[in-house]
Amino acid sequence: MDEVVRQIMTRRRFLQVAVASTVVVACSPSATGSSAPTQAGSSPAGGSGGAPASGSAISGTVNVTYPDEAGFKPKYVEQAAAALKSQYSGVDVKIDLQKIGDDDFYTKLLLRLDSGDVPDVIHVGGSLIGELSDAGYIEPLDTYLAAWEDWKQYPKAVQDGVSYNGKTWAIPYGLDMRWLYYRKDDLQKAGLAADWQPANVQGILDAAAAVKSKDSGVLPYALYAGPAGSSGTADHAFVPLLWAFGGELQDQSGKWIGDSPATKKVMAYYAKAYGDGLSPKEIITATKPWTAMREKLGNGGLALLFEGGWVYGGWAAKDKAATEQNVGYLLHPTESGGPSFTIGGPGTCWYITAKSKNKQAAWEFIKAVNSAEIVGKLNAEDPHPVARADAAEVPEFKSSKYLVDSTKALEKAKFTIPSPEYQKVIQAIQTATARVASGEIGADEAAKRYTDDLKQAVGADKVTTL
Amino acid sequence: MTASRRASLRRNRLYLAGLSPAAFLLALFFVGPALWALISSFTNRALVGIDAANPRFVGLDNYTRLFADPDFGRVILNSVIFVIGSAIIGQFVLGLALALLLDHAERRGFLATNLVYASVLLAWVNPTIIAGFLWVAMFDFYNGSLNVGLSHVGLGPVDWFGSGPMLAVIIANIWRGTAFTMLIFLGALRTIPSDIYEAARVDGANAFRRFWDHTLPLLRPIAALTLLSVTMATFGTFILIQALTNGGPALQTEVIALYAYHQAFQAHAVGYGSTIAVVMLALNLGFAIVFLRWSRARA
Repeated sequence: MDEVVRQIMTRRRFLQVAVASTVVVACSPSATGSSAPTQAGSSPAGGSGGAPASGSAISGTVNVTYPDEAGFKPKYVEQAAAALKSQYSGVDVKIDLQKIGDDDFYTKLLLRLDSGDVPDVIHVGGSLIGELSDAGYIEPLDTYLAAWEDWKQYPKAVQDGVSYNGKTWAIPYGLDMRWLYYRKDDLQKAGLAADWQPANVQGILDAAAAVKSKDSGVLPYALYAGPAGSSGTADHAFVPLLWAFGGELQDQSGKWIGDSPATKKVMAYYAKAYGDGLSPKEIITATKPWTAMREKLGNGGLALLFEGGWVYGGWAAKDKAATEQNVGYLLHPTESGGPSFTIGGPGTCWYITAKSKNKQAAWEFIKAVNSAEIVGKLNAEDPHPVARADAAEVPEFKSSKYLVDSTKALEKAKFTIPSPEYQKVIQAIQTATARVASGEIGADEAAKRYTDDLKQAVGADKVTTL
Repeated sequence: MTASRRASLRRNRLYLAGLSPAAFLLALFFVGPALWALISSFTNRALVGIDAANPRFVGLDNYTRLFADPDFGRVILNSVIFVIGSAIIGQFVLGLALALLLDHAERRGFLATNLVYASVLLAWVNPTIIAGFLWVAMFDFYNGSLNVGLSHVGLGPVDWFGSGPMLAVIIANIWRGTAFTMLIFLGALRTIPSDIYEAARVDGANAFRRFWDHTLPLLRPIAALTLLSVTMATFGTFILIQALTNGGPALQTEVIALYAYHQAFQAHAVGYGSTIAVVMLALNLGFAIVFLRWSRARA
């Protein structure tokens, strides 16, 4: 049996393309073409590979691939590449910028990593560290970090956020946090205070109902649900609600919690938000619903939205004064009115691939793109709390009240679990929330089905109920 | 015996030479991947995580998991509804009706025949993904043509994908696929000599009787093949639904091909996704056998 597996593995390159076409071929007899990933130039790597070779000349080509739809990163990536090239004459940097969404980028990247035609530096979410490391796709950075003075600038919590199995795997640049955004103008029209503050989690639904009762055409509240909401369904909706109702994703022993009193409450909250028409059904039917929801909150067409802190940057870039005047931001309330919180995360990180033939040069690139200056300026433009403390001293960052508030909010942050299974759990969450949001089943039934979804995703032995 | 075999080989050399490129391509792009999917369906192969580093054989685990999967029944039901709605009722019946109309118009020499013919064909020559985006532009809640049009006459926006997602994808697929059956039937209708109908008319048969007694029996063999082809193509529909609803909301339009894709490339469970693809292949093979038997029996 093992022999056969080994044979499969040696034929990976062919098979990886084959599986992509199989599904397509099997899907449609009339389909043409295959969904094999685009193969960018392979790396004709020279220079020193393996362990850090301090002092020796660094040369060769570094292949960097990263996604960016918003357009903030390219100039800083170019800047880092130029700095590296002028520092080491033998180094060339090939940049592969993919202007696609993170999900699509990740699928494409996985197919490429699996094929063996790997880039040297990749840029994906820090929450993927577990599964990437388990798959053997990424390189631990500990030996490089030991020789990097700047690593001391990263707070312990940030360092822990990119650790898995006792090793450090990635360098974060900006941390994720989320806000409950509200439109002061919309809430005032609904008879609420401009400095509105919900007493508890129910207060969000009450405010949404007040907006709806005015029937002004303003969407009351966007609560992400279903697969269309991508990871936002978990990180911007289900998970904060679960915590708000006193629940947890995992128990002490690491088992994923399915049906529980808190899960039932979350599902009831969903049932109310969608059943009463407070959240529009288009969230579960549109593609990339967050695009419309973010735009609407920015122009006053939506009153309430729990979203990433970085989203504020888009509104401020369009009209800074109007955004500061009309968009308020709060921490997520809890059921009892207890301490409000936000969800933290390591954000998108820089990794070296395990199969990179030019790791030393790849590391030099990662160092260059994570300089205090670049980290400070990039996060000032694409607002995230900075990962390295000294970057907060960059004037562009320091002068923004919003960024200072966001950084401070991290003290109240709860972090999602860096488990390799978390991505599968997110899919179970998407399936379960879609059922209740579409009105297919009621809240209690949806909580029960969530247990089944989890069992499908991670295996029955890793799921429990409370 | 050997001599005659050699002779037949010589006779057929030209056929073999002609067939081998097709056979080679079929083996490379279909048989190979299909076999790989079959092997893969007995493993826990994944794109990421521990199973990506160490895939192993898991026997029939994927199959037992699939048949216990509460969503799989839903997916099969969706596929059946989609095939009946868009392939059998829609493309097949509508395509036949359109072909009859056009054939009738052609025989009578109506002027607009070519215009109608071209407009139906236009839907078909579009690449599927463009057809998908066309319908997204039509159905979209905020900026779709349908809702913008409705707002001009004072009617509220309708959430097309929310209130009737299956109907929406069926309509889009009928629009896209009807031309194919129409073309085939039109070709078949043109082979029926006009004097058959004239003779029937002299005998006093009305339009329905002429259709029932003459047209339908003559179309039967080609109808079986057309039905087979549209059923299989529709059963495997992937791109159009992915562009329109991506299977949502809440699996309401998730058909088997999408489910295989989502498991393999979104959940990154390649082994499980392959299992679904293999089941799909088996079902398609079943369709093919049934339809081909039917067409041979009647021919």
